[in-house]
Amino acid sequence: MYQTVVGLEIHIHLNTKTKAFCGCKAEFGDEPNTNVCPVCLGYPGVLPVLNAEALSQAYTVARALGCELSQRTFFDRKNYFYPDMPKNYQITQFHDPVGVNGKIEFQAPDGTIKSLRIHDVHLEEDAGKMIHAGDMTLCDYNRAGYSLLEIVTEPDLTSGEDAEAFLLSFQRMVRYLGVSDGNMDEGSMKCDTNVSIRKAGEGLGTKVEIKNLNSTRFIKKAIEFETKRQATALDGQQRVVQETRLWNENRDVTESMRTKEGSLDYRYFPEPDIPPFLPDAEFWKAVEARQVELPLARRQRLVAAFGLSREQGDFVAESRFLADFFEEAAKVSGNGLAIANWLMGDVQKELNHFGLTLEASPLTAIRLAELQKLLDSGRIHIKIAKQLLDAVFEEDKDPEAVMKEKGLEAITTEEQLGPIFDAVFAKHPAVVEAIQAGDVRQKGFLVGQVMQATGGRAAPALVNALLAKRL
Amino acid sequence: MSAPTGWKQFQNKKETYLPYARTWEKRIGSFLTFRPETSAPADPGTGPLAGLPFGVKDNIAVEGFPLTCGSKMLAEVVSPYDATVVARIKAAGAFVVGKTNLDEFGMGSSTDNSALGKTHNPWDVTRVAGGSSGGSAASVAAGLVPFALGTDTGGSVRQPASFCGVYGFKPTYGVMSRYGLTAYASSLETPGILALDLGLVQSVFQVAQGRDIHDQTSLDPVALDAKPVKKIAVLADLADLDPGVKAVYEQTLEHLKALGYQIVPVTLPTLEYAVPAYYTIATAEASANLARFNGIRYGHRPVYAENHEHLVRQARTAGFGDEVKTRIMVGTYVLRSGFQDQFYTKAQKVRTLIRHDLQKVFDQADLLLSPTFPVPAFVHGDKTMNDFQQKLADKFTVTANLAGVPALSFPAGLVGGLPVGMQFTAPAFGEARLFEAAAAFATRVPVVACPGSSLEWSK
Repeated sequence: MYQTVVGLEIHIHLNTKTKAFCGCKAEFGDEPNTNVCPVCLGYPGVLPVLNAEALSQAYTVARALGCELSQRTFFDRKNYFYPDMPKNYQITQFHDPVGVNGKIEFQAPDGTIKSLRIHDVHLEEDAGKMIHAGDMTLCDYNRAGYSLLEIVTEPDLTSGEDAEAFLLSFQRMVRYLGVSDGNMDEGSMKCDTNVSIRKAGEGLGTKVEIKNLNSTRFIKKAIEFETKRQATALDGQQRVVQETRLWNENRDVTESMRTKEGSLDYRYFPEPDIPPFLPDAEFWKAVEARQVELPLARRQRLVAAFGLSREQGDFVAESRFLADFFEEAAKVSGNGLAIANWLMGDVQKELNHFGLTLEASPLTAIRLAELQKLLDSGRIHIKIAKQLLDAVFEEDKDPEAVMKEKGLEAITTEEQLGPIFDAVFAKHPAVVEAIQAGDVRQKGFLVGQVMQATGGRAAPALVNALLAKRL
Repeated sequence: MSAPTGWKQFQNKKETYLPYARTWEKRIGSFLTFRPETSAPADPGTGPLAGLPFGVKDNIAVEGFPLTCGSKMLAEVVSPYDATVVARIKAAGAFVVGKTNLDEFGMGSSTDNSALGKTHNPWDVTRVAGGSSGGSAASVAAGLVPFALGTDTGGSVRQPASFCGVYGFKPTYGVMSRYGLTAYASSLETPGILALDLGLVQSVFQVAQGRDIHDQTSLDPVALDAKPVKKIAVLADLADLDPGVKAVYEQTLEHLKALGYQIVPVTLPTLEYAVPAYYTIATAEASANLARFNGIRYGHRPVYAENHEHLVRQARTAGFGDEVKTRIMVGTYVLRSGFQDQFYTKAQKVRTLIRHDLQKVFDQADLLLSPTFPVPAFVHGDKTMNDFQQKLADKFTVTANLAGVPALSFPAGLVGGLPVGMQFTAPAFGEARLFEAAAAFATRVPVVACPGSSLEWSK
């Protein structure tokens, strides 16, 4: 039996308005070659100017990943020729990245908490992209110079499942930190995967790098495919070739990429155009201020504090907005479990119905808490609560205001309900008689009549109590 | 500190200027692009450099002008922007009349490495103007412009200034922004100023200096104490000088003594390593800096290519000259992984030692005097100095670049009808010391204008 060994090289686009080294807009989807300037096109004479926000976000991520943070970070040039890389060197960090030797926990699919070591976190610039059209290749440099953060893990992962779980957890983390949207389908998060296998107790095997993985599911599948492919090779007395392979998502296989003979020598040397950066007290303070409770910790705390199930915990901790929303509503209402149920159930339905996100919807944490409080205090019951929720979405008003405006408050006193009973009893003397004669099944009919007469507002417990009393 | 008379009235003098300029330019070929007819603004304003035409070395960006770097690679490129120093000088009222010739990408000491034009020394057109800012030095010496911008990576402003009998000034690294200066060796080079008038050098420096948001290595000058220059260090072990240069050097010493300066003999034990360290660092940086020229976005490209590699290979093979290719290859070699300690890292260590050595000199003296270059302007294609010897001769100038300190080459005398420059080197931010001592020297040895140059046209 072989053990799978996986290490990841994750790239995320940082959430900066402008590119890493010039003032061009960092935005997707614009016309090709419109967000470009002499700097990001590599014109003669231009110089890079480091985006301070990118650096702050880079340190924020490194700090959140438990890295040792560099007190003096600088950039290097990585030299190689590529058509979409304007300068034919990439400004990156090789000798002194913003963070090294990190460690981060994540929850494996079986629920166990595992930890993964981080080799380093470094800031660099993205390249443009090539568009192949017939026998031509066109270059779009809009993306050239985007702030790119690379996170290199140690080979601590042992399965495709774990790799996927870690990536999803990492994705949540960068979103919590607000440093990247982490969307793999838009290319704002990418991951190259190194896979090798070994027999237990043996040293590391020859690794294969897999590229072209644009979803976490593909990464899981690719690791599983590679494990089998490499095992078959080893079992057949063949060697695993160190190479780069591409994931073919149509065939669910990895395929050998044409590799150049010999390995590239990137000839790294310190970037002379950007002086070393020495964070000052103010910078450290800002990085500290950007730290948030990370998704895993938050989930665990919310689960413990509000008695949630694992599923509920996963749901409410998915995004920082949702977790904040949940936590506020749970605290204000004093009923976290119910809030979680609302969020996973009816709120989700309303959002789908109106085509909204929670962020953009009229439902606030306070409104949801208020709704739950009305319910818990018996002023409305569940059916009315659902009506009120709908009204909040429909009319953008507070639940209590809608309740009052539409007279939906529960009827909770005998004085209010007495006359209604009188009328129902008077209208259905035969039923009353039948019940009194022992046909208790017909009780339900009377309850139904009372509820109908009150528009569903009568508190069911009170209806039952009064019915028993009058019969 | 004002411009030579005549230039201020440039507006009204075009008719006399143009024939003068054209005649000279035909003899010396100092410009790659020369637009004296069209460049002058209608209203020069009232800035400190109002109405002054100037030349800009063709590796510095001037919006709307070519930016060829003396290379076939960029022969068709027009700059979409102004270098910061150009923008600042323009804002002070001066205007660009043309782009001056240079050794391709600043790589050379004669301007003979230009792929786009031949520049001759105005003092003797059989001789080179020096390099790499040879066009700038020649144009100033011939009186075509009152001042010109050059770039100084290892002496490229000072050596041609010496060859052409003008002032050539290199500031402290960072004090003049590099934004817009086509990078050859980023950590070594600065823009520089060439002029016949020392006051004008200072005026131009005054408006061009200071921090620039486009250049993170730029900085505002730091004021040094304003004590007058008293002690001038000289190298105790000066060897391998041309006899003529040696004679001018010795006369210079006598004049300085006569002016009351105290001469302090010093040694620079690391000087013999300066040139190898310089070329290691410069070529390493050049190998990356010139990688952007691949024919894809701009510049020379083949009509047809099979693929990316083929395209880049053809563009660079045809676009670059031999000296450029040599330096790219050397730079690639010294940066190879596994060999960096042996070359690049060692050169950086030497650089640190040179900086320390110079610091020791400046602990004992206010300035360091040396010849700018061991020989006067040589004849085109002169085989007495091969490429390698030309590089070795950079030892007096590269030291200032390695240490990032300011230096000034000043006209110090003539030898056989050719000008010879001497060089003051100052500690970082010691620009004022350079100007002070050079001005004092000029009171004893006035600058001699190149024969045939004149401002008659402006009268």
